[in-house]
Amino acid sequence: MGPEQPEPLPPSPVSRATLFAAFLKIGMLGFGGVMPWARRVLVEERGWLSDREFAELIGMCQVLPGPNVVNLSVILGARWQGAIGSLLALTGILFVPVIAVIVLATFYASVAHSPIARSAIGGASAAAAGLIIGTAFRLIVGARPPMRAVLLAVAVFIAVGIAQAPLLWVLAVAVPFAIAVEWRAAP
Amino acid sequence: MNTSFDLLFEIAWRFASLSLLAIGGINALLPEIHRVVVEVEGWMTSAEFADLFALAQLAPGPNAMVVSLLGWKVAGIAGAFVATIASCGPSSVVCYFAIRGLERLRNGALRGVLQRALAPVAIGLILASGYTLARAADRTAGAVLLTICGATAVAATRVNPIWILAAAALAGVAGVA
Repeated sequence: MGPEQPEPLPPSPVSRATLFAAFLKIGMLGFGGVMPWARRVLVEERGWLSDREFAELIGMCQVLPGPNVVNLSVILGARWQGAIGSLLALTGILFVPVIAVIVLATFYASVAHSPIARSAIGGASAAAAGLIIGTAFRLIVGARPPMRAVLLAVAVFIAVGIAQAPLLWVLAVAVPFAIAVEWRAAP
Repeated sequence: MNTSFDLLFEIAWRFASLSLLAIGGINALLPEIHRVVVEVEGWMTSAEFADLFALAQLAPGPNAMVVSLLGWKVAGIAGAFVATIASCGPSSVVCYFAIRGLERLRNGALRGVLQRALAPVAIGLILASGYTLARAADRTAGAVLLTICGATAVAATRVNPIWILAAAALAGVAGVA
């Protein structure tokens, strides 16, 4: 302990109600993927995190079991409001949208085959993929990483996205490699 | 009553045992979930599974919510909640305690090294997931254009993504995609 003692934390800037409202918004708007909305709400709208902090947290979530954004809710809920905060964030991002999804599922069969619905869904799905790609670029620009980090991000993208290598193998190689590189580069 | 309780227990057990394996999210586990739900348990056909997966992509909430829909298909609302809690509960508890352990390293060099090392990996994987979804969604030149517009709007402007999605849906109806 002694010098390693953490500094006392400032009082939480995020109340339970705003925490729940933010994660509910992320959960309810997450059409075609929640990641763009998580960054939009947490970084741009609320200003609770910087791009760099957001990318670092998603990195942590990636190596832990469980869906990234679910883990992100647990971590940020705990950071700002303890265990109750984790439960509130999970409820907002998971349990309220579950009900919306079930309502959708009930009507899906009757709507899914209408040509108008299919073309609307087709257009929105194409844009939704773009939102995720744009979010990745925004994080690269916003986090201002050193060149070695950009190269690593590109290598991971090529391995998983283009070569379609199994995710676990890519993580098993890329994570220890990245830790070793950052360890050597650390002051 | 008894059989439905048995069924819920079976759902809970099946999804909870997969929860801690879901490193990199639920998509990495989809083949295994498909095997259990379709082949081992015979809860639905492969086509029904694919439909629910497509619906989970479209619906609000994390894409991991496909698990809730699978539970709903098998055992109604109760099945949806049991499947959601079973698949995300164990991993969330592990995450909670892992991060509390890491918070103790607040001023430690190790924490900074971990964060700086993992951030680029995460960015590369987000880019890969967007690219994979684009490959599936972009069957026409118009759809490619919509993907590029969506990416540019998020990367270069602060316009609310809901308008981008709405405009793209309209463009789809107008025959662009």
